[in-house]
Order: sequence, then C-alpha cells, then structure tokens
Amino acid sequence: MDDTIIRTENLHKTYNSGKVKTNALRGVTLEIARGSFCCIVGPSGHGKSTLMHLVGGLDRPTEGGVFLDGMDITRLSNSKLAALRAQKIGFVFQFFNLLQGLTACENVETAMMFAGATEKAQKERAEALLSLVGLSEKLHAKPSDLSGGQQQRVAIARALANNPDLLLMDEPTGNLDSESEAEVLETVFRLHRQGKTVVIVTHNNEIAQRAEKVITIRDGMVAKYVLV
Amino acid sequence: MNIPKLVMKNITRRKGRFVFTLLGITIGIASFVTLLSLGGGLKKEIKKQSAELGANLVVTPKGWCAYEQVSVLTGEQLPEAIPFDVVKKIAAIKGLNSVPYLTERTAYQNNPISVIGILPEEMRRFKNWEMEQGKYFTAQDEKAIIIGSGIAGQFKLKPGDELTVKGEHFPIKGVLKETGGKDDIAVYMPLSVTQRLYEVSNMVSFIAIKVDDISRIDEFILKIQKAANVAVVSDKQLLKSVLSIVGTVSVTLQLIAAVAILAAAFGIINTMMTAVSERKREIGILQAIGASQRTIFSIFFLESGFYGLLGGIFGVAGGLLFSLLAAPYISQNEFTSLIRGTNVGEALDLRIIFGSIIFSVAVSLVSGLYPAWKAARLTPVEAISYG
Repeated sequence: MDDTIIRTENLHKTYNSGKVKTNALRGVTLEIARGSFCCIVGPSGHGKSTLMHLVGGLDRPTEGGVFLDGMDITRLSNSKLAALRAQKIGFVFQFFNLLQGLTACENVETAMMFAGATEKAQKERAEALLSLVGLSEKLHAKPSDLSGGQQQRVAIARALANNPDLLLMDEPTGNLDSESEAEVLETVFRLHRQGKTVVIVTHNNEIAQRAEKVITIRDGMVAKYVLV
Repeated sequence: MNIPKLVMKNITRRKGRFVFTLLGITIGIASFVTLLSLGGGLKKEIKKQSAELGANLVVTPKGWCAYEQVSVLTGEQLPEAIPFDVVKKIAAIKGLNSVPYLTERTAYQNNPISVIGILPEEMRRFKNWEMEQGKYFTAQDEKAIIIGSGIAGQFKLKPGDELTVKGEHFPIKGVLKETGGKDDIAVYMPLSVTQRLYEVSNMVSFIAIKVDDISRIDEFILKIQKAANVAVVSDKQLLKSVLSIVGTVSVTLQLIAAVAILAAAFGIINTMMTAVSERKREIGILQAIGASQRTIFSIFFLESGFYGLLGGIFGVAGGLLFSLLAAPYISQNEFTSLIRGTNVGEALDLRIIFGSIIFSVAVSLVSGLYPAWKAARLTPVEAISYG
C-alpha cells in the first residue's frame, strides 16, 4: 500500500456570504504519510480549520481534490462520505463536541452505531476505549459532570471508536488548562506510537515541536512545509 | 446505542418542552375523540330511538320541518295539530295499525317529564308493553297514570303513589317493564283524559303507523294522504332527515376537531423546528462521527412520530374521560338530550380508539417531515460551526 494516507491537490475553498467572497483556501497541495504525526499551524482565520474540514470530508472544496488512501473523497456521494467518516476518520474538536444528553459510554457507542456495530460490541469497546484514556471510573458520567480534560479524553475515545486510520484534531488542547492539556497530549502521543496517523491543527508550540511534519498555512496557502 | 434509544434520550432531555408539546397534541386528539364520539353517539342513539318507535310510517301535520320530525323521536312537546277524526280515518284503512300520540309536558319535583296521551289498548298492542308492577289501564278514559320504569326508578315511585298533573291528582296504576328507550322516561295517560287536562279537545300530536306488508308501503302512503290532508314520513325518510340534521352537527363537530388537530400539528412543527435550530451543533457532531443525512432525517422524523404516538394514547384516554364527564352536562341541552342514554364506552368504539392513535401518529409524522428535512439538509460544517 502507498505510504501516503492523505494527499490534497490544488485545494480551493471560497465562501460566499451575501456579496462578500472569502477565499479561505487558495491552492493547497500537500501530502501526509501513513503513521505520521503532523501539525498544521498558522495564524487564526488563515484557513487551518477549513483545510481540516475538507480533509475530513466535513465540507467540499470549491476546486481541487482530497485523496484518502488514493481515493478522491470529493467525488463521493453524501451517504458514502458519511460512511467514510464513520469508518476511517476520527475527529476531535476544540470544544469537545460531546452529545450532552448522553453518558461518556453512550457518546462512544453512538459513533459505533453509525458504523453498524452491534450493541454488545459497542458497549464492550466503549468501555475498553474509555479505560484506555483513563476514564474507566467515569463510564456513566454525563459531559456536564466531567472536567474539560476528561471531556476531551471522552472525545478521543469516541474518535477511536471505529478504529480509524486517521485522527484529525482541531485545537484539541485549545480549551484546556495545562494539567488537562498534559493528560490529553500524553494520550495523543501514545496513540501515535501505536501507529495512528495524527493530524493536529494547533497554536501550541510544544506539540509542533514534537511533530514529524509541520505545515504552516498563511492566507489560505501553504507557507512552510517542514519535516522535522 | 440504537436510533430509537437516541430518539428517546433526545425527547426526554428537555422535559418542559416535552410536556408542553405532548399536551398540545393530547388536547388536539382528545377534542377530536370527544367530538367524534359525541357525534357517533348521537347518530347511534337516534337510530335506536327511531327503531324503538316501532313504526314504519309517521303521520305529521303538513309543513313540519325536519327539526319537528326529530322531535317525534326525542319525545319533546309538540303542537297538537292533527284532528281526531283524521286518526279515525287512518285507523279505518285496512292493512295497517295506527296509534295516536299526544305529547305534553308536566313536572315532578321540578323535573320536566313527558306526559303522553295514548289509546291504552291500541298502544299496548302496538308496543307489546309488559308490566313490571301494578296493572295496566282497563278503560279508555280511566283517570290513572302508567309510568315508565326510568321514571319509577328516578323518583322512587310505585303503584299506589300519586302524581299531580295540571293540579289534578292521579293514582299511579302500574309501572312498565324496562324497554331500554324513551318509553322508560315518560308517563302515560288515556288520550281523552290528557286532551281534557290540556284543553286540546279532539287533537293529537302525531300518529305512528305499522303496515302489515312493508313492500306496499308506497301504496299505504298514498292511501293515507288520500284519506286526510297530512304529511306521511316513512321511517327511512324520517331517519334520513334526522340523520341529515345529525350529519350537520357531526360535520360541525368534526370541523372544530380539525381546527384542534391543525393547531396541534403546528405545535409539533414549531417544536421540531426549534429543536432543529437548537440542536444544529448536535446534528453537526452526529454527521462528523458518521451519521448520514438519512439517519439525521429518521432521528427527527421518529421524534415527531413518537410525540404523535404518546399524544394519541393520552389524547384518546383524555377524550374518553372528557366524554364521560361532559355527557351529563351536554345532555341538558334539548337537542343533545338524545345522548342521555348513550354509554360512552359504546360510543367510543375500538375503531375510534385505534383510528385516532394512528391518525395522531400520521399527523405528527407529516408535521415532522419539514423539520426533519431541514435537519438532514444541513452540511456538517454548517451545523458544527453553529453557536
């Protein structure tokens, strides 16, 4: 199998809000190797998150292609794209984005439900994953009863629910105190050591320094491409 | 986790909204059920009354409107408009049995009671009356009263007691066996006595007729009309005109019910639309972790359906309870007094129960279509970047 898990080709994204056109991305071409740890950095509002959304199949580009395992995901139908998100990609967001009405365990189970797992398999794996992120005591806690760091670890467990090849994280520690941040980062680094491809959008220099590849996005374009 | 479980968690999470939306649907369906069952009860009862009249034909004065024809069945006081010689002429026609009715009103312990003047022997033969207690009239002009079993029960009257009608005392001679109909809630006096008492010499209110050969009914109508200048209504015609009035009432009731349902439907649409915009972010999260548009649609669609199911069940229960509680009050009205004998359980048949629940679910699903479609149409980024 090809060593490249993600490749983008001349990605453009233009937002039309009323009469104002915003060019969020202006021709981004990049490659990310399988099993690598990659950081996307750059000033706020310059297109990092947009790039992340396109790579994760949450949005469609105005122009260009996104290749996941060599397949152009921009050509997939909405339902195939949804199935791909369920099976191949795990998302972690800055604001955790847990479902508030559900417990930690149920949040992880829901992600597996969309991939078609049986309820028994869902429960077993959800418990195992929450133990993996150090939350075996909080299986039945609601998000509102968890600290920020704990919520983010639930989100990571959820991202891992269907054993995806790729973890996409948008400022995963942006909303955490330093203690929680350390907990979360430790989990992320461990996952990388276990072979997951991790792509993190971040402002955090400490993470960037430990990455194998740092891509700087400025004005919607790749400004710097550093292999560490 | 499965979709229905997720739907249940979504619904029960916001308890206040859940309760109020459910109330909206419940009230809509309850009024629907109540009005339907009252309308249905009216129809049933009217059919029963006209069957019980036991007549194939009813002779009324010319020019009576449908309302007055209905009154024949309700036993209300009617104008004394047919001269007695018409009764005689009709009785003389071969092949039919006829009995005149003179319907009047009196009061006992401040309750209105129907007093019906009859030809004792003819009436007993016509109706096959039997006695529960006491004895039947023995003479055509006997100064006595026979009472229906309902009246006897209601006022604890028995043979030997006295009733005062128009200031005159009458001994109660007997109590009729229960017939299950209007005959139970009237008192009977010989026609001549009633005519003297109410000063309507030689007049009656209407005449009920049974023909020996039902297939020659048209022939009999012509014969009667030839013999006297009166209107003759067959039971079918009578029933038809009665039912057309009831039909109008039913349609009105159903229209009111429809408004209630419509209000409930918009309640659901409103709730679901609010839910969609409130839960935009949640929809985005679900999409990000792999929910397809179809799944999002079914989540919201099922949610409305569930509201409909619960609202339907509670609504039917509420409607039943309301019919039960309201029926006595509604029967105070002269026209709806027909409902009096109606058993709510009988009026609210299984068809109405299941029909209403299914209807409620259907209305809710239709109301959920647009919000569910709106939710499914959101793109993941649009939804997740919200709020």
